Amino acid sequence: MHVLPDMTPPAEPHRSAKAIYQDGTSRVIHWSEREVPFPDGRLIVSRTDLDGIITHANAAFVEISGYSREELIGAPHHILRHPDMPKVAFKDLWDTLKQGRKWHGYVKNLRKDGAHYWVYATALPNVRNGEVVGYTSVRRKPSRKRIEELVPLYRKWLEEEIAGVGA
Amino acid sequence: MTLNMLVAPDFAPENFPGWYMLSTLLQGRSGLRLHLLMPSDAHEQARMLADGGVDLVYANPFDATSLIRSEGYIPFARPAGHSDEMVIATAATSPLNCVEDLQPDCSIALTDNRDVKLIGLRLLEPADLTEQDIRWELANSYQAAARMTLNGQVDAGFFLASAYHSLARITRERLKVLVESKLRDITHVLLAHPRMSEDLPKLAEALLGVNPADPGDLEVLKALGLANGFEAMEQEDAEFMIDLMDTLLD
Repeated sequence: MHVLPDMTPPAEPHRSAKAIYQDGTSRVIHWSEREVPFPDGRLIVSRTDLDGIITHANAAFVEISGYSREELIGAPHHILRHPDMPKVAFKDLWDTLKQGRKWHGYVKNLRKDGAHYWVYATALPNVRNGEVVGYTSVRRKPSRKRIEELVPLYRKWLEEEIAGVGA
Repeated sequence: MTLNMLVAPDFAPENFPGWYMLSTLLQGRSGLRLHLLMPSDAHEQARMLADGGVDLVYANPFDATSLIRSEGYIPFARPAGHSDEMVIATAATSPLNCVEDLQPDCSIALTDNRDVKLIGLRLLEPADLTEQDIRWELANSYQAAARMTLNGQVDAGFFLASAYHSLARITRERLKVLVESKLRDITHVLLAHPRMSEDLPKLAEALLGVNPADPGDLEVLKALGLANGFEAMEQEDAEFMIDLMDTLLD
């Protein structure tokens, strides 16, 4: 099991919390309100193994995430998990992939420096000789209008999750 | 036995002779006889492939997907440092400055190239435009698409990036790039039919041996517009690219 190190607090105003992940690990994260725009014309490409451990990161992924390739390879994909993203979105992602189907969704990702970037993500299982051997995720520039529509929905889901945990 | 080699019809016109130069070179070095099939458009290519006599294909990434996964073609090489990219451009005098400035019901000129259209549609997503929001104007060449764009007949044009950059300088000066893709991981692919697997090592050796550092070989590669030559491609490299293409389909 890969335990991510705590994030370094950014110099700009930020919030902090302890993030607890699906695999039982945790780390301290910091996040600011700063958004980094998705680079025009690029695709962010990564692959993971069946456990969600990153095995491939293209140059665009390295650049926008703020991590080095060495930090990304071998790390769990939840290294990008932003606290504003509801868990239900990722449950849907993994449920869909486990059924052998393609998943699409808008995702707010956390950078190493605490800023964030929005993506339109597509993930699919890598099928080789009839067996799933890993997953590919490709992120492209999202529609701003769709993000603005989704932000209140994600906030509502997140509040419901927090309320559910507290109940 | 003569091997039929089909070349996808989406290279710039000036690269046409390059394929005959490459064919001559490969025949001399491999001892195999090659017959080039140069379809003029995607329909003619589909007809030639359906006839079943194609042994080798220089395929665009979109067609490579079905040829590998459905027809069992074997990927063995790809152009080195030459990814398939596309450009969305408008007239230099247009008030449009970025993709997000394009509005529903805008008109776009494009050629019969599914890869360019597919990637272009993905680049239009930030503008909330889908295929149905566009009035498509089919052009029979990239030069024609450029003319339609700079004359203001359409709001923008879709171009294979290599074709766009091959346009005459005076044409490019009258156009403005709204976005150019930098996908990097998507390339044309050289495929072999499984029935020629016995001859494939000889052909692959000859192709991968075409050396950009050799002046004679470089002349051929420049004529092809592929100055860096070719690199080996494993089955898994192709599968990776196909998965990536799959994510772009919708």
